[in-house]
Amino acid sequence: MAKRGGFNRKSSASEEIPSSSMADIAFLLLIFFMVSTVFRKEREVPIDWAQAEATEKIDEKRKNILHLWVDEEGQVFINDQLVPHESIAGVVRPIYADNRQLVVAIRGDRDVPYSQINSITEQLKQAGAVRVTFATRIEQRVQRARR
Amino acid sequence: MAILQRKERVSDEIPTASMADIAFLLLIFFLTTTVFNEEKGLPIVLPEAEQEEVDVSAKNLIFFLVQPDGSVVVRRGESEQEQVVASSQIEDLLRAELAANENLIAAIKTNPQAAYRHMIAVLDEVKLAGAERISLQMLEE
Repeated sequence: MAKRGGFNRKSSASEEIPSSSMADIAFLLLIFFMVSTVFRKEREVPIDWAQAEATEKIDEKRKNILHLWVDEEGQVFINDQLVPHESIAGVVRPIYADNRQLVVAIRGDRDVPYSQINSITEQLKQAGAVRVTFATRIEQRVQRARR
Repeated sequence: MAILQRKERVSDEIPTASMADIAFLLLIFFLTTTVFNEEKGLPIVLPEAEQEEVDVSAKNLIFFLVQPDGSVVVRRGESEQEQVVASSQIEDLLRAELAANENLIAAIKTNPQAAYRHMIAVLDEVKLAGAERISLQMLEE
């Protein structure tokens, strides 16, 4: 390759990596996040989550799930409102009537006495919302053996 | 594009150089506000409210009586014999029982003073054993 006696003009093509597609990539990522973002609609109640190894992903549309929070003292919160146990059926019944696919996710603190949970499930039976999930965090098998 | 006369050298296009900056800023906003849906737990279907007592043959029933301290008393429907086990042994026990009788119903009766986590522990074991007929009740004193 000794053309021109070894004297080669420097190529006029730029040596930089073209970053013109950076904006495209940014927009694509942006569109992904814009489409997948759902803003949170209710306040979280601080609870100590129960753990279970058999925890499974609940494959249900977001709008079909109603979160029922039970804190340590047994107070029940539905849609950011404190609901006394006797009124739970009254609150859930119209929601269930609107949406027969309703799944109630009971997010209870791990130290709630079972009598409270039982009164909640009785109320839910009265309201007709029988598809219930006990919300738990996933637990590894080793942790379970040490329980 | 032959330039016949030298007019202004300033371009008449809107500069789009900052488009990438705006895109990145919006991207960072969404990156920090996106929370992915984390609905997980143990699903169960409660019985309807006004149901008459279904007659179940005693041999198809196994009771798991959850005590306030978390220990579990296993009572087989037919024999009335009781056995105290730790919750971690339930999975294997129930798996063996289900292999013998696939119509077995696992009835979990929890003491009202028992903590929720004890019921969850037993329900967890029962689900891991593969039981499909599960009943949840409160243990009457």
